[in-house]
Amino acid sequence: MKKGGILFALVALFSFILAGGVNAAEPIVLGVPTALGSIEGKDGWMAVQMAVEEINAKGGVLVGGKRRPLKAYSIDTREHEPGIPVHDALTAVEKLILEKKPHAIVLGAFRSEILLASMDLIAKYKLPYICSIAMTPVFQKKILQNYDQYKYMFRNCLNAVYLVKYLGQVMGFIGKEFGFNRAYLIVQDTLWAKATGKGLQKWYEKNGWQLMGFDAYPLGATDFSSSLIKVRAKKAQVMVPIFDMPQSGILLKQARSMKVPALLCGFISPVAPGNAWQVFEGEVEGMVNFLFEIGPIPVKAVPKSVAFNRNFGKRWGEEARIRLSGHGPGPAYDAVYIMADAIERAGSLDPDAIVKALEKTDMMGVVGRIRFAKDHQAVYGLDPKEAAIGCAFQWKKPGVRVPVFPEIVAEGKIELPPYMKK
Amino acid sequence: MIASIIVYGLVNSVILALIAIGFSLTFGISGVANFAYGGFYLFSGYLTWMLLKYLGLPFGLAIPVAILATGLLGFLTYWVILLRVRGIVLSEVIATFALGVGMLEFFRWKGFVTYEFTLPYFVKGVVEIAGVPLDYQRLIIIGIGLVLVLFLYLFTHHTRIGLSFRGIAQNERTAISLGIESDWTAALSLALGSALAAVAAIAILPLGIISINVGYDVLLIAVAVGIIGGLESAAGILVGSLILGYAQVITGMYLAPEWTMVVYLAAIVVVLAIKPSGLFGKFKELEERV
Amino acid sequence: MRYRKERLDRGIKARCEDIFALSSWREILYLLLPRAVPVLGLLVFPLLKGIVGLYWEKVLVITCAIGLLALSWDLMASVGLVSLGQALFFGAGAYIAGALNQAFGLSPLITIPIGTLGGALFCTLLLFPVLRLRGVYFAIITLILPLLFARVIETTKILGGTEGMSGLSPLPGIWFELYVPVVALLMALFGFRRLINEDYGLVLQGIRDNDRAVMSGAINIYKFKAQAVFMAGVAGAFSGAFMTHYYQFVGIPAFAMDYSILPLTCAVLGGVGSFAGPTLGAFILVPLSEVLRAFGTLRVVFYSAILIICVVGLPEGIFHYIQRKYHQFERLVEVE
Repeated sequence: MKKGGILFALVALFSFILAGGVNAAEPIVLGVPTALGSIEGKDGWMAVQMAVEEINAKGGVLVGGKRRPLKAYSIDTREHEPGIPVHDALTAVEKLILEKKPHAIVLGAFRSEILLASMDLIAKYKLPYICSIAMTPVFQKKILQNYDQYKYMFRNCLNAVYLVKYLGQVMGFIGKEFGFNRAYLIVQDTLWAKATGKGLQKWYEKNGWQLMGFDAYPLGATDFSSSLIKVRAKKAQVMVPIFDMPQSGILLKQARSMKVPALLCGFISPVAPGNAWQVFEGEVEGMVNFLFEIGPIPVKAVPKSVAFNRNFGKRWGEEARIRLSGHGPGPAYDAVYIMADAIERAGSLDPDAIVKALEKTDMMGVVGRIRFAKDHQAVYGLDPKEAAIGCAFQWKKPGVRVPVFPEIVAEGKIELPPYMKK
Repeated sequence: MIASIIVYGLVNSVILALIAIGFSLTFGISGVANFAYGGFYLFSGYLTWMLLKYLGLPFGLAIPVAILATGLLGFLTYWVILLRVRGIVLSEVIATFALGVGMLEFFRWKGFVTYEFTLPYFVKGVVEIAGVPLDYQRLIIIGIGLVLVLFLYLFTHHTRIGLSFRGIAQNERTAISLGIESDWTAALSLALGSALAAVAAIAILPLGIISINVGYDVLLIAVAVGIIGGLESAAGILVGSLILGYAQVITGMYLAPEWTMVVYLAAIVVVLAIKPSGLFGKFKELEERV
Repeated sequence: MRYRKERLDRGIKARCEDIFALSSWREILYLLLPRAVPVLGLLVFPLLKGIVGLYWEKVLVITCAIGLLALSWDLMASVGLVSLGQALFFGAGAYIAGALNQAFGLSPLITIPIGTLGGALFCTLLLFPVLRLRGVYFAIITLILPLLFARVIETTKILGGTEGMSGLSPLPGIWFELYVPVVALLMALFGFRRLINEDYGLVLQGIRDNDRAVMSGAINIYKFKAQAVFMAGVAGAFSGAFMTHYYQFVGIPAFAMDYSILPLTCAVLGGVGSFAGPTLGAFILVPLSEVLRAFGTLRVVFYSAILIICVVGLPEGIFHYIQRKYHQFERLVEVE
């Protein structure tokens, strides 16, 4: 009785200490508020989960002498839908912050409009934030204008300015190779697409190309025939679509069925994944599409991208690997590693310390070398040893995505599609 | 370019007319509100897609099955939902509108939003008309559209069932006293309207993808065409859709593609403010405004 | 032995007629509690934010905003104008407040009142030409107008276009944020209820029941309809203007269909015509939708199902049902 009591107390004390020891490894919480209904958001979330599992398998993140596991929570903001429900998305982000109390946010907003609208919210809660999908350059301007308030936000994916640089180089190549100089821009009526269009317009003016038209379609549009009629009538040789909505596939279908004799070169979200050849029954042949960041296509010069591609297939299955979207999964995966690395270098979870550590980031990731410029945008370029890279590929028979740009990853050259060869 | 405008304008107009026929049959002609129209339209599209993909049915079999299923759904909607609020037009509108929204959002929740949801063309191939390439699918649509509008006119003016549709809308009590079973007739009109929605969906959806937005747009188009042309007249559907179709294509070409949606929203507002019964509508004038 | 159902007023209700309501504490409490408890509850809830957590306080604010929209819907329905587009009021108030704040840097204490009155005035003037439409036609036009405005802003890119106006001034302090919508909701609720019970409200209900009869009584029904729309607009536009500063953002989603369907569902669920009904509906549906947020878009399916069930099966709404149960009881009685 008394002995039993002492024994019981000792056991209780022991288990308490043990439990206390286990409790000390409190997880570091990562929040992922994004459009889980879009392919970019869905694949990005899967990439984040994969990264979290990998880091935890190696023991977790070292913070102030203790190893702590990572835990990621997502919430669907539905921001990819037409009529972008900003109020609802902001409420969802705030719910994630108040309920799960994340220490940092990765993957971030899908729509630039939501990204900008949530900057004040993030500043209020002082959360380090790495955005991996939304692309508007206005984001960087705001950070520079009001550094103290918005310094917590970073972006490690491609942005519209870099996309214009890439597009410009591809256009230059096309102009030299085929002698083309008449283009037609068809963009989506959202911030990033219009910014890209305007930037490209300036490039065309500087480089002697004629821009035959510049049309913008709202989210959810399903009929592009008015632009296609004009492309034919004005004899444009290159059509540049910039879309991330699933309906943009209709543009491709209509262009083929109206037999528009122009080379398609740009970004149509449903044409980027590997299964687009079957989905479109071969009609994608000849289109030059961009992958904003590598990863969905493994690039031999960047071993981490090869590993990412392979592991994604092992973790989520071959189907999922083939369908990896052209924008988002690579940077999403990297964002987790960047955040973990910054926390370890900062040695604490204090947001200001993490921000300082993030600014000094210099590591190799799936997308190449990751460094942030003063305006908290990751630097993209042409050489993965110096900067992060995206790539452009062309669909060729029998259903292969052949990378054609930049030099370091190219496995082939841009060719004219069969319907343009007379 | 003028030839392109004429041809594509015609295609667009007939597409609008085809979409609006089913809605006009139930709401305009029989006076039974069916604001779940967009939901039925998409339902038939997804059903066909699922029959083709998961059951592997041949196209020729999947089409009649989908049309019949949608018609049956419309029939059931009447008996389950509309029966209890028959006569209170606003409750009918709200209930069916909620049904439509519910169906559409249910499809969105199930994840039917990516690009793989397309229906195959009936016939592949392109033909040139006056220098404008037009694919066979669009030609078939024009054919189906015109045939159905003609059918609608003949049906509602020269067959017993069609005439009884119009009868229950004009004065329900008199119709009942003449031996027309009001409930069965209304249910039948709802079923027929939904089946026509299915026909329109299967013909038109191959041109694009099956996306949730289309459901909402379809309802707006049907309402717009009905209001501009006059809800209860077949000629009104044709004229209304021609006006809207050409207005859309012309604004798209000469103004900017973003304005096409504004066109038919503004058209509805203008027509409702000036002449609510539309161009060809007659007998609702007493009821629609004070 | 056959039975029929008999429904009688409760004894205490009968004893509450006229001055006898003051005869004892039981009668006073019987009349007072149903009104006092929710009011006190609402006023005390923000004080509990330490216990309940900030998240549910945020839900309270959104509930009040939707409740105001539901009340404005109900007032318009009491005149016979069923609108499928309350988002028009919400968006008008939101944009006016947002535009003033961004263009002139006025503080929320100025932009919210101006947004409220300006938005209400704008919507009344807009709807004035179509007030003579009845029934379905009015419903259709109210459905279309918010969509039209959303598209126009999108294409003309005025007032911020698709990206909207962000970075607007926040509200001064958490107590302001929590108490202003609660007080506004209570004012609207009791104000509208008082209005509808006065003679003015009788005219409004008459217009709903038979407008031609009211016209033949030499009353200008358009004037009354316009005034009703204006008052409903004040409630709706206030909700929009307040939420603009709450989110520090205004954009095209201010005209979203959610802001039309949700108040409609709340009103139908709660009971059309009794302003307490829509409020009750709002307090049930909005927290429920937050709890169900994990289900994503299934929430909207859920609202639609509720809407259909209420319209078809329980047309009187929850509030009338509760009220009936509170005041009356039923029993089975032998048929002689």
